[in-house]
Amino acid sequence: MTHILVVDDERHICELYKSEFEDEGYTVSLAHSGKEALEALDKESPDIVVLDIQMPGMDGLETLSKILGRDKVVPVVLNTAYSHYKDDYSSWGADAYVVKSSDTSKLKAEVKRLLGK
Amino acid sequence: MNDLDWIKGTLCILMAGGRGERLYPLTRDFAKPAVRFGGIYRIIDFTLSNCLNSHIRKVYVLTQYRSVSLERHIRLGWNIFNHELDEFIECVPPQLVHSDHVYRGTADSLFQNIQLLQLERPERVLILSGDHVYKMNYNAMIEYHVNKGADLTVAGVEVEREQASAFGVIGSNDDYKIVDWEEKPKDPKPVPGKSDKSFVSMGVYVFNTEVLVKQLFSDVKKKSSSHDFGKDIVPAMIKTNKVYVHGFTEPIDRTRSYWKDIGTLDAYWEANMDLVAPVPQCNLYEKEWPIRTYQHQVPPAKTVSEHSRRVGSVLDSVIAGGCLVAGAKVVRSVLSPNVKVGGSSVVEDSVLLDGVQVGRGARIRKAIVDQDVSIPDGFTVGIDAEEDKKRFTISPGGIVVVPRGVVLD
Repeated sequence: MTHILVVDDERHICELYKSEFEDEGYTVSLAHSGKEALEALDKESPDIVVLDIQMPGMDGLETLSKILGRDKVVPVVLNTAYSHYKDDYSSWGADAYVVKSSDTSKLKAEVKRLLGK
Repeated sequence: MNDLDWIKGTLCILMAGGRGERLYPLTRDFAKPAVRFGGIYRIIDFTLSNCLNSHIRKVYVLTQYRSVSLERHIRLGWNIFNHELDEFIECVPPQLVHSDHVYRGTADSLFQNIQLLQLERPERVLILSGDHVYKMNYNAMIEYHVNKGADLTVAGVEVEREQASAFGVIGSNDDYKIVDWEEKPKDPKPVPGKSDKSFVSMGVYVFNTEVLVKQLFSDVKKKSSSHDFGKDIVPAMIKTNKVYVHGFTEPIDRTRSYWKDIGTLDAYWEANMDLVAPVPQCNLYEKEWPIRTYQHQVPPAKTVSEHSRRVGSVLDSVIAGGCLVAGAKVVRSVLSPNVKVGGSSVVEDSVLLDGVQVGRGARIRKAIVDQDVSIPDGFTVGIDAEEDKKRFTISPGGIVVVPRGVVLD
């Protein structure tokens, strides 16, 4: 089954995405920091990562650069409440950039598009 | 838009991090761009002088191996730009932010420093290499790039088509749009309108920044890539982007196009010899395009005649300050500062680096003698191939290299 790793420091958002993606038939695991995300990537080999940017400690952009430096390529969707990170070249390494909204259809569509590649 | 706007919107990245293994032992103690060349220069002086003469005022030098020698040279010799006016030549060692490994290729060296592009947000990036000897006006290339509406422009030097098979050859259509990019092709594509010439890449690139950033990220995701501009980025882009070749000519004498990659010991020796001919292939004496360097204070060069029969003479050579040729003969050679050649010795077709001492009655032919080596009385280099082989590095072209620190008897 297709496996999504959701990385977000806000636990209720994680739970929301988990239930929404599980309804779509995906397996979902959660990480609450950049460090946890990198550990989860080593252990679980997810098919795609949904990554928040503003997190305490290692933020999403630094986490993204570490993900890009890994041997195995995994698509990453940046999922953030802010649009200004689009101007930061560090964010250009992501395969998609979604601005957070209560409507998750855009996020789901990007995930589906990237997995369909 | 005028010239100044083009220049202001351009950030220069000078890549100087290569190990320079094919130039060993000259690179044992020095970064390749910091290796002494042409008597008084370091190889990187040519590229930096081109920047200075082209009014490029924002230069990051990406260093890595043996960077102390290079950084010192830049600090001493190139501390000429004004930070208050937003001008700089700044050395950047590996930051180890994006990864824990050394640079895997030229593209990786820039990828690992992508924050520099974020910091400056230039419209264009001029990418140069610190180990080439040539004189080029980068403005002309940037203007061409802008006028062509290119995503990427690659500088190409024209070489005889039959000799082009040894290089990476750029194939273009009649509008100079690059359609082929071949490493060592059997049948090199000709330059438009010149069936006997081919364009060879000089490792000089002008990128639109946003295109460059996208390409760097796309390249880093290709795990089979060698992360090199010439091998990976450019070939990938010619299929999808507007990539043009800019034909290189020298800034002052436009009929000339001298360019040399100092990648090997033979190329290093040949490029030095290119300076000594009566009509040199590389002219250091054009006042309009000066090549700058850092020099220690040294006394003037001097020749001394010991007797009427032992005339200290220097013919068809380049000699730096501080040299003393006493009763010896120096022919078609390049002497760096403070070289001493003693009575009755003969030095021919050779490159002697700083502080080399040649005793009396010695003979040196077709050799590179590294810094501070002392050649004893009566010693020969480049005469007896069997003897040389036992002690020294010999290049594929037969140049004998006497390394620094060697003790000869």
